[in-house]
Amino acid sequence: MLEIKKIKKIYQLGKVKVEALKGVSFGIEKGDFVAIMGPSGSGKSTLMHIIGCLDKPTEGNFFLDGKDVSKLNDDKLAEIRNKSIGFVFQQFNLLSRASLLHNVETPLIYAGVKVKKRRELAKSALDSVGLGDRLKHRPNEISGGERQRTAIARALVNNPLIILADEPTGNLDTKTGEEIMRIFNRLNQEGHTIIMVTHEPDIARHARRIIRLRDGLIERDEKI
Amino acid sequence: MFFEIIKLAFDSLRTNKLRTFLSMLGIIIGVGAVIAIVSIGSGAREQITSRISSLGSNIINILPGTSRGWGGRVSRSSTDIFTLELADYLEQVCPSVKRVLPLSQGSGLLINGELNVQATLNGVNTYYPEVNNYNLAQGQFINEEDLENNRNVIVLGSQVAENLFGNTNALGEKIKLNFQNRDHLFTVIGVMEEKGAGLMGNLNNQAYIPITTFMKKLSNSRFVTYYIAQASSSGEASSAVSEIEFFLTKYLKDEEKEKFNIMSQDEILETVNSVTASLSLMLGGIAAISLLVGGIGIMNIMLVSVTERTREIGIRKALGAKNKNIMSQFLVEALSLSGMGGLVGILLGWLGAYTIAQVGKWPLVITPVSVLLAFGFALIIGLFFGLYPAMKAARMDPVEALRYE
Repeated sequence: MLEIKKIKKIYQLGKVKVEALKGVSFGIEKGDFVAIMGPSGSGKSTLMHIIGCLDKPTEGNFFLDGKDVSKLNDDKLAEIRNKSIGFVFQQFNLLSRASLLHNVETPLIYAGVKVKKRRELAKSALDSVGLGDRLKHRPNEISGGERQRTAIARALVNNPLIILADEPTGNLDTKTGEEIMRIFNRLNQEGHTIIMVTHEPDIARHARRIIRLRDGLIERDEKI
Repeated sequence: MFFEIIKLAFDSLRTNKLRTFLSMLGIIIGVGAVIAIVSIGSGAREQITSRISSLGSNIINILPGTSRGWGGRVSRSSTDIFTLELADYLEQVCPSVKRVLPLSQGSGLLINGELNVQATLNGVNTYYPEVNNYNLAQGQFINEEDLENNRNVIVLGSQVAENLFGNTNALGEKIKLNFQNRDHLFTVIGVMEEKGAGLMGNLNNQAYIPITTFMKKLSNSRFVTYYIAQASSSGEASSAVSEIEFFLTKYLKDEEKEKFNIMSQDEILETVNSVTASLSLMLGGIAAISLLVGGIGIMNIMLVSVTERTREIGIRKALGAKNKNIMSQFLVEALSLSGMGGLVGILLGWLGAYTIAQVGKWPLVITPVSVLLAFGFALIIGLFFGLYPAMKAARMDPVEALRYE
């Protein structure tokens, strides 16, 4: 479903060229739960940005659902992010002035879904992460775990091909982190494909497959 | 989607009310000033125009000319050309002219016992009230007999009468007139009605005596100060002007037209109109500059807002917002700022114009054109100055934006 072929990413920092990814290839099947691990500077963030269609590779191809997305323009990429990818960030990245309901609704607004349908979908997504009674609350009125659950609801609401999580437990205590991981496991059992970037082995253990990066190359790729 | 974007803009403006208000202020003041100034300009013009018309629409002033000073000759006003005979001559030869009224003018001190007042003294004939559309309040005006016999009779302007006599009756009273350090005794025979200030100064502060008395007893001159000519009708005013010009040029052998100066009501109106129009234009221009400054204020605040919300922009882009979605979000925000500023400005401008119209006692004139123009200009400014910040927001790289702290 997802195929990455010889992806390179080169940044131009002043006069210095930095090669963040030096030719990475792998594929991910539908319904898998993959953890991407590696020390800082290994290129895992860059890889995540490319998989998330937030950034384009300098070289190589990226096929999503059979379609090469590595050369698309900004608007097409925005459409793919909207329809096919659900993001969960370390910093939660919720809109601080908007209610939880509005936060979860936002991807649907950009997808052009009508108000009534939008409300319904957002409510059921929040219900599924146990926040059905907090619709009117704002992000600063709830706990960190609840914020991350809101972000998961937002990632789910468009029924994406991939849920892309970037250090989803990095800003949470161990117990809350475990709760979040249980939600991810449940979603995976329900058939969602999940790709998660982390540097914590305890968290990576929840995945079915771990890809380890080092210095812009795949160091190890193993199934658990 | 459109409705969502508007709602988003207002949500964002609501979260920072003081900042929103301050950035609107420039536009509010600009639009308010444009509307108030245009309205005050037209109101004042309407008042001046109606005042001039009330003085008589077919009046032509014939004033002494000013000769240019060159080649050692000193520039001076021609004072020794207008005689009573010339007035009669013009009245006879010009077919479109009904009357030519000679006037002698000077300043004199009027004294009644302990009270005195400095007034403009006019030597006039019996047709003065008719020509100037200016009537008596009490008594009677100078008649033919007064003129023939050079009688010492005087008609007072309303202000002069009040200053000298208060509320008591002035008719028949004798007052002293001090003119060029000589005293004369005059009998009050009439008091004029109250009238607003005109082109020839405040009429209420004037007094009238027979022109013959003025010339023979006061000025000892056979020349008068100027003429007021009355055209047969307002339609014939312009032909009357050309006739007077033609005959005066011939009579005075004044090819260079230096000795006299003709001012018709139309010309005065034209002058007033052009003066008030250019004044309005100038003030309107200054107000428009403040609108421009307001626009720069909006741009400034939008740039700050875009920077502050970099992360929000990143989040929205990650969730699938296209560049045009982000662009319209910020553009609508800038437009809402300038639009709301414009509406408040219209209200403020109307209030200002209304207050000043009340104080100035002229009609409140607010043309829809000026309102639409000011509002439209405000929107255009919002669009223009909102464009750059909106483009800046739309072009942000999502990865960079998400990383922004």
